[in-house]
Amino acid sequence: MAAPGIVHVVDDDASWRMSVGRLLRAAGYQVVLYESAEQFLKAATIDARGCILLDIRMPGLSGLNLQQRLLDDGRQTLPIVFLSGHGDIPTTVLAMKAGAENFLTKPVDTEVLLATVSKAIERGREGRARRERLDEQRARVAALTPTERKVFDLVVRGKLNKQIASELGSVERTIKWHRHNIMEKLQLGSLAELVSLAERLGLVGANEPPNGAPH
Amino acid sequence: LHAAEEEARVVILNGVDPYLPAYLVMDSAMRASLATYSTRRVAFFSEPLDAQRFPVQVLEPEFVALMTKKYHALRIDVVVAVTRPALDFFSRHGEELWPGARLVFHSVARNDIDLAKVPPNAIGVVARRDIRGTVDIARRLQPDARRILVISGASELDLVLEREARDVLSTDADTASVEFLSGWPLPELLVRVAAEPATTIIVYLTQFRDRDGRPHIPGNVQRALSGASAAPIYSPFETHIAAGAAAGSVESFEETGRFAGEQVRAVLDNGPRAPGRAVLEVPSRCVANARALKRWSMDERRLPDGCEIRFADRSYWRENFWQIVAALAVIVGQGLLIATLFVQRRRRRVAEGESRKRYAEMTHMNRRVAMGELSASIAHELNQPLGAIRNNAGAAEILIKADPPRLQEVAEILDDIKRDDQRASDVIARFRKMLQKAEFEVKNMDLNNAITETVRLLDSEASAKEISLRTELDPRLPEVSADRVQVQQVILNLALNAMEAMHSQPANRRVLVIRSARADRSEAEVSVTDTGPGIPAEMLDRVFEPFVTTKASGMGLGLAISRTIVEAHGGHISAESSPGGGAVLRFTLPLAPPRSA
Repeated sequence: MAAPGIVHVVDDDASWRMSVGRLLRAAGYQVVLYESAEQFLKAATIDARGCILLDIRMPGLSGLNLQQRLLDDGRQTLPIVFLSGHGDIPTTVLAMKAGAENFLTKPVDTEVLLATVSKAIERGREGRARRERLDEQRARVAALTPTERKVFDLVVRGKLNKQIASELGSVERTIKWHRHNIMEKLQLGSLAELVSLAERLGLVGANEPPNGAPH
Repeated sequence: LHAAEEEARVVILNGVDPYLPAYLVMDSAMRASLATYSTRRVAFFSEPLDAQRFPVQVLEPEFVALMTKKYHALRIDVVVAVTRPALDFFSRHGEELWPGARLVFHSVARNDIDLAKVPPNAIGVVARRDIRGTVDIARRLQPDARRILVISGASELDLVLEREARDVLSTDADTASVEFLSGWPLPELLVRVAAEPATTIIVYLTQFRDRDGRPHIPGNVQRALSGASAAPIYSPFETHIAAGAAAGSVESFEETGRFAGEQVRAVLDNGPRAPGRAVLEVPSRCVANARALKRWSMDERRLPDGCEIRFADRSYWRENFWQIVAALAVIVGQGLLIATLFVQRRRRRVAEGESRKRYAEMTHMNRRVAMGELSASIAHELNQPLGAIRNNAGAAEILIKADPPRLQEVAEILDDIKRDDQRASDVIARFRKMLQKAEFEVKNMDLNNAITETVRLLDSEASAKEISLRTELDPRLPEVSADRVQVQQVILNLALNAMEAMHSQPANRRVLVIRSARADRSEAEVSVTDTGPGIPAEMLDRVFEPFVTTKASGMGLGLAISRTIVEAHGGHISAESSPGGGAVLRFTLPLAPPRSA
């Protein structure tokens, strides 16, 4: 198994923290232990691959508080597996709605724990790959020339080349040429792909184009 | 003739300690007989020589100087010399100290008087000290006695008496062996008399001083001897009969005193012309101590006729018949009353038994309810170590299968498993202790320790409810006298109540503080302070009543039961609003009595 990832264990109960750390290390994971949510916020490097095993009930910031804090900061990039001494339904619902990967009740069956962690890390990896792809594409869009960007915005709004040319005070042939360059730069093969990308990046019908014509 | 209006002055010169019982009896009898003397008012001056303890020769010059100073301007009519040392002192100095005073003396043995030295116009009431008579009584009571033990002291007076006794007892030497214990220290005497066979006759004379110079009160020596002796003790002194001697031929001290008083009166009446050198005697007679006779199992019928038996309880029936009948009637009446009360008491005890049972059931039920409220957090508390055990076991499984097996780590894991298992057991034990149906048992207990243990039950619940739970315990708090489980139950009730009250507060304003302190000399106090909305003023007095609640849920029984428990311990419970908002509930418990070292 090649470097399966880092598991961040956040739990105030020392013996549980130690034991789960031991189990995960024996199973080949890298483990970092935190005795409180505050400590995690201070110390953790979030962009590492892995997941968080998070105790619901802790003095100070609770597990749910920490989850909310990470969401607010836009830092929730690691999947969270919640753990609780006893699972009550309202808490579980809250956690899952906020995007928790899973919710386990102590004591956790070893198989279930390892499987959940493994799945969470896998999901984390997928999410990460997806985010990386998007980031890449966002970077490519950002690299378009101002004119190309205007053409891009008008294309994804369903305008024809003729309409675009008249709007930009150009000729149809020049617009065709821009479109060709855009498809090249964004490594796309079809208009459908272009629209789908714009949707994923949140560029459809959102803002007016940055240098939109003032008509 | 003396002027009738002029007071008569009498100096009482006592050769020994005038506060010894015999002299007190004589002195008060003498004063009593003179009190009725109507012609002149009599003034008494008391001068003790205390020669038994302070030898006269050593102090004589100072004493004479003191007397000179006191009496040089005072005409004295009569000097009453009590005992031989006083008589001797008067012979030497009386003429110069109290010129013209007549001498009346008493408490001097007849054969101890040197008549040549006695002033010509003196009047004496001599003491017979009937040792012979006393020994005769003893021999009547113990006809088979073959041994006579005589106990005496080492002071001058003691020795005079002993000499007399040796003289008197010389005739007994044919029929019994006579032994003298002269001036033996009391502890040795006691050992000796305790070991004496019951057939021995013990004659105790006096012991003013033992041979080591230790002074004694003769009557106290008698008392000690009669307490210890296996054989009966006889004494020629009246006061010794009262102090536990069996019998003796004694002169009445009261009679002696009265007689001496009459002589003084005669002198005062007749002035210097009264006849002198009269030596008078008070008759001695047989006196026995009924209790002492009984103690040494002697038959009082053997006593000579007319012997006065003192300290007897037996004529009671005859003398007090009607009083006894009345007393019996009262006793019978009381008996009936007691019987009635007894029946009532039994009924009450049955009722009390029932109420105790109900109390036990009620407190038990309340504990179950309280622990029920805690069950979720206790499950949580329990799941922590159980979860850790499961994880450790899973890790061990993996480590054992490794190649090579990582046994060192497995050993560490097993240690941790044991520790977590213990932790889980502790949680269950705490839980179970509170659920047990136990007898109400008041013991000395450490209150702080009980609070700490209760807080451990509550910790998890507090953290679930995002309440900061603190204790402030007085480390010098003495033990209290209480039932531990019930005290914890009260703390639990108050704390759960406070937690509930803080439900609506923002999380950072939920603080619960449990304090212990000494309330006063006899009580310790526990207070539970919350930061909830507090208790409305009109509810403060009522919160401990059953079914009164400020909470939305709950029956309002926790506080009522807490009050019952606290009052069953002799403490009291109260509620108040804390100045910063929130409520303070306090209760007191009696301190344990200090342990005897």
